[in-house]
Amino acid sequence: MTPSPGVPREPSAVAVGGSPGVFPFAPWRHRLSVLLVASTLALIFVGGLVTSTGSGLSVPDWPLSYGMVMPPMVGGVFYEHGHRMVASAVGFLTLVLAVWTARAEARASIRRLAWTALAAVIAQGVLGGLTVIFLLPTPISVTHACLAQAFFCMTIALAYLTSREWLAPSGARDDVAGVRGAALAATAAVLGQLVLGAIMRHIGAGLAVPDFPRMYGRWIPPAEILEQAPVAVHLAHRAGALVVLAFVLRLALRASRGHDVRLARPAQIALGLVFVQIGLGALTVLTGKAVLPTTAHVATGAAILGLCWFTTLRTRRHLRAPALAPAVAALGDPAVS
Amino acid sequence: MSMRKSLAVVAFAAPLALVACGGGEKQEAPAAAPASTTAAAPAADAGAAKGSASIAGKISFAGTAPAAEKIKVSADPYCQKEHKDGLERKVVDVKDGGLKDVFVYVKSGLTGTYPAPTEAVELDQQGCMYKPHMVVLQVGQPLKIKNNDETLHNIHPRPAVNAEFNIGQPRKGMESTKTFDKKEVMIPVGCDVHPWMRSYISVLDNPFYAVTDEDGKCEIKGLPAGEYEIEAVHEKLKSQTGKITVKDGEKATLDLSYKG
Repeated sequence: MTPSPGVPREPSAVAVGGSPGVFPFAPWRHRLSVLLVASTLALIFVGGLVTSTGSGLSVPDWPLSYGMVMPPMVGGVFYEHGHRMVASAVGFLTLVLAVWTARAEARASIRRLAWTALAAVIAQGVLGGLTVIFLLPTPISVTHACLAQAFFCMTIALAYLTSREWLAPSGARDDVAGVRGAALAATAAVLGQLVLGAIMRHIGAGLAVPDFPRMYGRWIPPAEILEQAPVAVHLAHRAGALVVLAFVLRLALRASRGHDVRLARPAQIALGLVFVQIGLGALTVLTGKAVLPTTAHVATGAAILGLCWFTTLRTRRHLRAPALAPAVAALGDPAVS
Repeated sequence: MSMRKSLAVVAFAAPLALVACGGGEKQEAPAAAPASTTAAAPAADAGAAKGSASIAGKISFAGTAPAAEKIKVSADPYCQKEHKDGLERKVVDVKDGGLKDVFVYVKSGLTGTYPAPTEAVELDQQGCMYKPHMVVLQVGQPLKIKNNDETLHNIHPRPAVNAEFNIGQPRKGMESTKTFDKKEVMIPVGCDVHPWMRSYISVLDNPFYAVTDEDGKCEIKGLPAGEYEIEAVHEKLKSQTGKITVKDGEKATLDLSYKG
């Protein structure tokens, strides 16, 4: 689908996002994309509730629920069918945004991203259905959880790349503090940790190590317990929390050094959330996986990923890599003026 | 002829595998025993090794049983209506030292083959609870699952060796029939809509089993003479085993005990 006449065409060599100052800001489409971001985060929370309450199979069929569009919302059906309803709403918003973007957006890269997001949300729905039909097989459930995070990142990119901030004609400065790399590394670390968390959650290893902060009563766990896969995954997730803390702390420190609140603030919030997240992880273990801390742990993980990813995108807008600046400029990096 | 009389006659005329729990009349009263017990009786009639021995016993529990668990059923207004004062579940149900709902079966020592009965064993959903709590059937024997509630249920056994399934029964009066093709003891069955609902299905290749009554008593009847290993399995406590030798026409006693 091509954009409507009158919308500026994208220069052929422009990278994702397009050059700032060239493309018009579409406020309502941007607002829709922001709504999609918020809805997706809510959907991740609701999806977490399904697992935390053990309601994943309370509706045994798909795409209908007990052969109905709207079953009685009782017991576990409230969580599982509620998840399906919120997911349908997110899917609908994504569809509207994709069609709108295809019709009105001049940048081919953004149009592609919108279609990709639509494909991802459809795939996510199908994966959700397969988890029900095949009784929660771990690979499908883990993929479902990870694709949710990937889709969330797509919605953030769609929102930011259509924002006034991205499109405003302002320049970028040299990334002397190395914030670009730190943001990308933090995002990768959080994503890896979320994958580990999803595996742990779906193999039922959340309480494989039943104490915290010690592990089987020791600060350094006995080597022999690592032979059990659930314990090994659980401990890897705990170790991953320390890795994430290190990477996000590094990002927050570097971003704060640049005195640019647009980069420092999301990084600092992400760092704060990492501490909250570690507390929620501890509560999850100490309460024997009580529903609220367990679900909040899932949603906070997504929020940290979203903030790190958002910071990464912002560094691409406001900072340029000093040594690579000429080469990136030749590729049409929007951060290079 | 009532089912009770039928069984008594068959047991007398041609000793067969018959299981009943509890004492006195109840031992031969399928109506008072778990559904699985009544359904198992015809199995031994199909050319299997016949016998007239029986093993009776009491499964006891010494110590302090965990307090009954209070369950909130408010997630479903229908279940709330059925249990206005809430629901209590005694996982370790002890009366006068006897432990209820222990599945007792012949673990080893049998040599004959025992074709599965064609009569279905029933698992009923009533008042947002399973009835009976312990279901026993033979490999290939039909299991009829009924919904007698005016709310929806899903039936989701989580076997280790048999095929897992998850089916929905959204309306009262619905029935589904399933079979299990492998031996497996104590398959947990749950409803994910109402997580307090719990039952256990045991699948055997013979009809020699019993489930303890509220006094902890049970009896396995119609056994051929021989030496057997008997296992008692409880949903919460570790299993207990014992060995016993029985002769034709003899009633042997085997008591097992758990400690709290």
